[in-house]
Amino acid sequence: MAAPGSQKGDHPDLLTAGLFIGIGLLGLVMSRHLDFGSLARMGPGFMPRIVCLLLVAVGLLVGIPALRRPGVAIEAVRARPLIVITVAIVGFAFAVTHLGFVVASLWLVIAGSLADPGGRWRTVLLLAAGLTAFGALVFVKALGVQVPLWPV
Amino acid sequence: MEFLDLLMLGFGEAMTPANLGFCLIGALLGTLIGVLPGIGPTATIAVLLPITFFLPPLAGIIMLAGIYYGAQYGGSTTAVLVNLPGEASSVVTALDGYQMARQGRAGAALAVAALGSFFAGTVATFAIALAGPTLSGFALSFGPAEYVSLMLFGLLAATILASGLVLKAIGMILFGLLLGMVGTDAETGAERLTFGALELFDGIDFIVIAIGVFGFAEIITNLERSGSEGVSVAPLTRLWPTREDFRASWRAVLRGTGIGTFLGLLPGGGATLASFSAYSLEKKVSRHPQKFGTGVVEGVAAPEAANNAAAQSSFIPLLTLGIPSNNMMAMMLSAFMIHGITPGPSVLTNQPEIFWGLVASMWIGNLLLVVINLPLIGLWVRLLTVPYRLLYPAILLFCCIGVYSMNNRIFDVVLAAGFGLLGYAFRKAKCEPGPLLLGFVLGPLLEANLRRTMLITQGDPSIFVERPISLTMLVATVILLTLMILPSFRKTREEAFQEEEA
Repeated sequence: MAAPGSQKGDHPDLLTAGLFIGIGLLGLVMSRHLDFGSLARMGPGFMPRIVCLLLVAVGLLVGIPALRRPGVAIEAVRARPLIVITVAIVGFAFAVTHLGFVVASLWLVIAGSLADPGGRWRTVLLLAAGLTAFGALVFVKALGVQVPLWPV
Repeated sequence: MEFLDLLMLGFGEAMTPANLGFCLIGALLGTLIGVLPGIGPTATIAVLLPITFFLPPLAGIIMLAGIYYGAQYGGSTTAVLVNLPGEASSVVTALDGYQMARQGRAGAALAVAALGSFFAGTVATFAIALAGPTLSGFALSFGPAEYVSLMLFGLLAATILASGLVLKAIGMILFGLLLGMVGTDAETGAERLTFGALELFDGIDFIVIAIGVFGFAEIITNLERSGSEGVSVAPLTRLWPTREDFRASWRAVLRGTGIGTFLGLLPGGGATLASFSAYSLEKKVSRHPQKFGTGVVEGVAAPEAANNAAAQSSFIPLLTLGIPSNNMMAMMLSAFMIHGITPGPSVLTNQPEIFWGLVASMWIGNLLLVVINLPLIGLWVRLLTVPYRLLYPAILLFCCIGVYSMNNRIFDVVLAAGFGLLGYAFRKAKCEPGPLLLGFVLGPLLEANLRRTMLITQGDPSIFVERPISLTMLVATVILLTLMILPSFRKTREEAFQEEEA
């Protein structure tokens, strides 16, 4: 089944296993100082530890059979949308607090548009202006979201 | 007739101009979302959840419910006209609906879908009104042990009826449970899994997770496979269904309504499963099964009635037991919570206007959908030609404002971005993120009830098998687990979801 030269192993399933086991172990480490308690008086560490152990177990159950299955590759990751969108969101969070809604919204739409290479500048700028005006009117003015409009 | 009095109370609540307006906005918005591919109802409700905070409780919930069933409706419109199901629940509608459209019977297909949905919605609304008081009376006798067993059963059943690998779904639920534990422990005051971050002492907000995993992650994945522009729209004919169509479809509508109402009740059931089951049932009982897929009207009528009925009846477990059965209902649960209402048996006695107002508004919303949307179909179709390039910045902005406006904190937005990345990774790992929300919402409930049970019995777990309701639920859970391990059942389950993949 596997294409020549490709590795063995169901990669999406292995990634799943990695995520589950990683999260489970992280949870176990973080809850190590919490009191486990007893069945009658469960401490704060009771449920987290049980859930984490189960999560690791499920991770192993998914991962081990996947090692032996014929190779399945993970869909290609395209870095551009991933990075651009994340940076745009984080930038918005800081801008909206310090520079006000208008700057933040313009930044989000313009920077976010770079995630799709097909956009034209004129459309992007028009869209940014329109969405910012709409957001300012609906969210800040009408719905009363507590954000300054302009840099303070 | 107390039942009618209460229903009248509900209509009185739902018919106030403001509530009627929010019902309309919700239904229209839902249709819009359903029409536009790439924006799911889960993401939309996540985005709008913080906004409803500014509305009165009933108005907010009415609007969100409207979005939910409106989306079922909108999804079928595009399924028929352009062979592009807007929602997973209308995938099967496209099979026969689009063929009908190509034969110039688009108007008939849409009208049958709309009328079938309306009928199903009416029946399901009455089912809620009738089952609600009975079930919640029953639920009042539930102790913590019953709730623990019910939740275990619900969580496990949800993984089986949902599509995708069962083990992965269980893992996602466990992860959700874990996320629900972040913050200060309600009983001991100990702070858990917070990384020492002050912002996490109150726990993670539902909206942060929902917008991260559904909103942001969905935008990123959609952008990866761009190029979905240029759809060919089948010519729209304004033909009322023929007498022949009506004759062929009324039985299908009845069967679809029955299946849908029933499946909506089950944990993990809901609209998608209902439409698939209704379609395959129609194919089985039909006298001409070979014609399915070539444009038979029953193939549109049954799944459409079923998905609408299920969308409504999945409110029953939430409203009566306080237990959401799928991730959409987990959303609705947190919408109730935002307004300080804990869904469950007590709502019916303490705040009957909320329950009956919602029930009445569902019926009104369904009526509005039929009356308003049939003339608007042309407009919806033109919206399909709006490229995603222009849509996603708007979605992005709404998501960001939604997360930020909860506490005015940078932290929440950054955390949501982090959940976006995590959600993206889960998508690459082919893990359905829906069960995560269910686990997150039920986690604290499960823990609190488990603790209470064990405290009462002083650590003796035999209470779970001594109480009959709890025992029944646990036996059902064990049966489900055994079935899952049996290879023959696994195969049938995979086949049941095969059409969805195609």
